[in-house]
Amino acid sequence: MKRNNIRIAVQKQGRLKIPSLEYLESLGLQFPKENGRTLVVPCKNAGVEILYVRHSDMPEYVQSGAADFAIVGENVLYENNFKVKEVKKFDFGKCNLVIAVPVVSPIQTTQALEGERIATSYPNSLRKFLQKQKINAVIIEIKGSVEVAPALGLADAICDLTQTGNTLKENGLKPIETLFNSTAVFIESSFESIQKSGSKIKFLTPPL
Amino acid sequence: MKKIQATILKGTRDFLPQEMMRRNVVIEIIRKTFEKFGYSPIETPIICPAETILGKYGEEGDRLTYSFKDRGGRLIALPYDLTVPFARFVAANYQDLPFPFKRYQIQRVWRAEKPQRGRLREFYQCDIDIIGSKSLICEAEIVKMIAIVFEKLEIPNIMIKVNSRRLMNAILRFYGVNQSEITSIIRIIDKITKIGEEAVVSELQKMGINNAQKIIETLTPDDTNKNTLKKLERYDISELEEFLSYCADLEIPEKNLQIDPTLARGLDYYTGLTFEVVSEDADFGSICAGGRYDNLCGLFSDKDFSGVGVAFGFERIMLLLEKLKLFRSNNAPSQALVTIFDENSIKDALQTYSKLIEAGIAAEIYFESKKLSKQFKFADKKQIPFVLIRGPEEREKGEITIKRMQSGKQKTISLNQLVSYLSNYYETQ
Repeated sequence: MKRNNIRIAVQKQGRLKIPSLEYLESLGLQFPKENGRTLVVPCKNAGVEILYVRHSDMPEYVQSGAADFAIVGENVLYENNFKVKEVKKFDFGKCNLVIAVPVVSPIQTTQALEGERIATSYPNSLRKFLQKQKINAVIIEIKGSVEVAPALGLADAICDLTQTGNTLKENGLKPIETLFNSTAVFIESSFESIQKSGSKIKFLTPPL
Repeated sequence: MKKIQATILKGTRDFLPQEMMRRNVVIEIIRKTFEKFGYSPIETPIICPAETILGKYGEEGDRLTYSFKDRGGRLIALPYDLTVPFARFVAANYQDLPFPFKRYQIQRVWRAEKPQRGRLREFYQCDIDIIGSKSLICEAEIVKMIAIVFEKLEIPNIMIKVNSRRLMNAILRFYGVNQSEITSIIRIIDKITKIGEEAVVSELQKMGINNAQKIIETLTPDDTNKNTLKKLERYDISELEEFLSYCADLEIPEKNLQIDPTLARGLDYYTGLTFEVVSEDADFGSICAGGRYDNLCGLFSDKDFSGVGVAFGFERIMLLLEKLKLFRSNNAPSQALVTIFDENSIKDALQTYSKLIEAGIAAEIYFESKKLSKQFKFADKKQIPFVLIRGPEEREKGEITIKRMQSGKQKTISLNQLVSYLSNYYETQ
């Protein structure tokens, strides 16, 4: 599908949203701050549309060429095994993917995870880690509130994102292993959906 | 009473469960790949009228074909390969087939030759053919599929060699070889990897070919396909060029594809491109081979069917996988053994067993309430990874103990989570 405008996907909801929009503004783009229910918001001063999408859907948008650029956490790219051109690394959106266990747990080392149940929303990242460490374990996939799984007897450990470690602490958990350090990145689709790729480059060159 | 000796015929084999499971895994990968490319399965009879088999493979082939008289005095033959039975199949059924017809066939064939490693008297072949199209896209598709099959089998370092019968004939004619000599000369050139260049040259010279050295030099492939074709540009190389461009569009890696003008393939019925797949890691010949034949069905029908196909040498692929140690260690047919704790636990064990089966987990139950250590031993011998134990204590708490046989580690969880535990267990390799 050929388009004449550039589409940039940003997080619809979550910790990357505000800094992402601030960055786009710093590029000189003008757009309404509040998108309300609208998912596609055109810029006033440039042939650019802002796309508000779910964080985990970003790889699909960029891969299919529905978005030309996206501001996304590296953890999402890693989880989806998504290889894409990284244009810029940001200072915001820093977090770690860790394995954490109850403070009183008999599990204190990575090797002790053998045969145990690990709850996570990042099954692929966890699988990669277990494969590398040669640990056989049970991956319990849940979509959210992973941190309560051990207290409910659902799992023996969790694999989740953490920024400050406060959520873990509040739930009586402590990290025993860091799988991955993540930050927000600006990625570019390899899909040639824009007729004049020249404009794409021009749009990006000065501010970067 | 005197017992009959439990022997089998020379060149045939019994397959024990461990090996049979490995074979099934490999067959499944091959079958699934064939189906991914839209090939349909067929099967042809094992016992055939001898005239549909004999006389199609040359003198040697006839000698190696199993044949016998049945009770009605008819001469019966067993298939020597799957290509000729397929040609007969097409001639008999073409009105019911969608053309171009793409079929796969995985069946046993028989050859009455001296058994050797990787070559028994009874063995499997996995064939694919496209019949009813002369487009070179067929050839490229087959090469793509070959690449995918070996990629899925995780066999590295394979080389798909390709040659053109037409080009080979043109080169030989250019060097003054008579049409009548071409077949026998191609047979000699075919031996080049086996006996070496010098031996081939001297055999050709013995036949009275003066340009033998020059012919071999011309036919020897260059470092890249591009250079090989450049060297041969005075001949008609358009067929290979078109084929290579389709291969490039199908993203077949160049490192796995070599134009080799010395490649001949012994069989006479090839008329277009021919293929042969070799592995750097194999100490035997090709693991897959075939080519284009313009008139294979001609023996059975007046209709003109052009076809192209290859056969995968299943037994050789198995040997190669073995050599490369590519088989996973765990080959148990089931994932978990439900033990019976004591006489009072039978009902409970049967219910757990039923729950697992209903959830689609491969499981089995121990048939007797013997000592647990005995039940563990059985699991060990069968290499079942998990043993499930539920005694009075677990029953009281609504729990179940899972023992991992490999590490001996035990874990007790809620019975309700058993299915989730087993189906989400991630086994690293």
